[in-house]
Amino acid sequence: MGEASRFCHFRGERLLEASRLTKIYRVGGEPVYALRDVEFVAPQGDFVVINGPSGSGKTTFLNLIAVIDRPTSGEVYIEGEPTSTQSEGQLAALRKTTIGLVFQSFNLIPVLSAAENVEYPLLLQGSERSPRRARVAAMLAEVGLSELARRRPSALSGGQRQRVAIARALITGPKIVLADEPTANLDSETGGAVMDLMRRLNEEHCVTFVVVTHDPAVSKYAKRRVRILDGRLEEGGDHGMVDSAS
Amino acid sequence: MELRLALRNVFRNRRRTAFSLAVIVVGTVVFLVLLGFLGETLRSTERSLACESGAVQVADPRLFENQATGYEYLIAPAMRDEVAALVTEMPGVGGVTWQLGFAGLVGDEEGSTLVLGRGVIPCGCPDEYGCIVTIGEPLPANDSRVTILGGRLARKLGVEVGGRVNIATGTVAGTFNAATVSVIGELVYSPETVEEQLGLFPLGFVQRLLKTDGVERILIRLTDLAAADAFSDELASRIEAAGIPLATRTWKELNPSYESLSTFYKAFSGLAGLAVFALVFFSVIEVLTLAFLERTREVGTIRAFGATRWRIFRTFLLEGASIGAIGGALGVLVGVAVALGFNATGATWTPPGAAVPQRIRLDIGLTTILIPFLTALAATWASALYPAWKNARLRIVEALHSV
Repeated sequence: MGEASRFCHFRGERLLEASRLTKIYRVGGEPVYALRDVEFVAPQGDFVVINGPSGSGKTTFLNLIAVIDRPTSGEVYIEGEPTSTQSEGQLAALRKTTIGLVFQSFNLIPVLSAAENVEYPLLLQGSERSPRRARVAAMLAEVGLSELARRRPSALSGGQRQRVAIARALITGPKIVLADEPTANLDSETGGAVMDLMRRLNEEHCVTFVVVTHDPAVSKYAKRRVRILDGRLEEGGDHGMVDSAS
Repeated sequence: MELRLALRNVFRNRRRTAFSLAVIVVGTVVFLVLLGFLGETLRSTERSLACESGAVQVADPRLFENQATGYEYLIAPAMRDEVAALVTEMPGVGGVTWQLGFAGLVGDEEGSTLVLGRGVIPCGCPDEYGCIVTIGEPLPANDSRVTILGGRLARKLGVEVGGRVNIATGTVAGTFNAATVSVIGELVYSPETVEEQLGLFPLGFVQRLLKTDGVERILIRLTDLAAADAFSDELASRIEAAGIPLATRTWKELNPSYESLSTFYKAFSGLAGLAVFALVFFSVIEVLTLAFLERTREVGTIRAFGATRWRIFRTFLLEGASIGAIGGALGVLVGVAVALGFNATGATWTPPGAAVPQRIRLDIGLTTILIPFLTALAATWASALYPAWKNARLRIVEALHSV
């Protein structure tokens, strides 16, 4: 969060990579391809927007690169390491340290305050109370929610909840943030503000963002656009423009 | 924060939590009151038995084994004093006395019946007459010819306090002896069949009647009844070392029915505990299953952030334990209040083996409080095991898509 990382440029490392990624579901005994031989690479500092209609395989793809689901075949590499051979515990550790997630429905824990929701991933990491609290306060300030830190999610607007969710995704200092339809439950103005925030954080923290959406308006925040259709990925989307910052 | 999260989740659905807590509180209170009642009854029986027979007795083994044919078991004064000296050297002694019993006939010109006479030292025992309840005058502290007869025996003979009866028995030497005594009181005794035969007399009078200066048994009262076994063993080895041909018996050995009663109470307490456990377990498991099921997406979220299955399992167990601890603590508070209130009413009942009604007291000691609390805690915790395990086993992707 310091000034040193104010400007983020691609560094060329293959931070996140998918190779021949295939996911098949069984529906009534018949195989249904959700993803088919997908190839994908995201270097550090990238901001990828993946567009596609409902049922195109966006969320399946996100789940696989978030290592919360396993592919039928193919491989997901995080920082060059294959994930298919890793145990549940190793994948949990990977998610805890390297990956942040933002959900369409925010998925905040309703009995915890905004600050406590942001604090929770740090607790999973076992970080000490005092630095943990300081880090939460700084992160909430960064997403503009210092004043609302003690409020429960039910007392926050949709936009505020998504800001809390973004703060939660970033609090552990992950290298990758994966967002699933982050603006779907927000009006266009609030959605725009949330995307502005994500893009700013991408620049300032040099965190790789992969945003899955069916909202065409989100594409304009992308450094790189990818389109997914019938389980296949293709570079370049139909909507929006690549931001000049990229 | 885990505990905070667990506690907040406990009160997330207040109506549901109130139901769980109500079940736990009711179970805890019922168990606590029952344990309090059984515990106090058992202790009261212990006190009553040990009071009458002494915590430890010393006598000839033939008397204890019912193998005597005459009065060969009597303890001579020198031996009695030697034992008394050994006893008083030992710590924890609350008092020492001795008795001499006989079987004979009691009656008047109208007829006679069997009497089991017990010669006691008036006021020798701290609990006079071995805790037998008497009505009328106490036995005087001399050898006068008086008796306190069992109430049923007195009625059978048609004699009242102030009347006179004749006592006849065989002496130690096998000859016949008789005396006329004044009835100065009545006693109440359980079982009633013994009350129909029992009579208390001054020890000196019984010794004159039997023409002996011996006694049949030495009764020792202890300040701590729980020490009876150890005291008995120690005294037995000292007696043996001194070359005295006598044996010791504890109050439990002298009252074998106590073990059955104690076992019954313990089994009953155990069954009641199991019933309370089952009540809490089956009531709370449904509530927790529903409560945990509603948080499936939260489980998916937390796991997506790197929480392990073990952590999820632990978190839900902590929640179950929190409900158990809160419910158990509330149950203990209510149970103690009920017990105190009940004790204040002064209600009475006649426990097994007691001759007269006694005040009902509910024990509220540490064990009585801890066992129901731990039962409630364990039952609630156990009821959280399956739903917690089920939630921990959820696939993240499926959990995240749960509505």
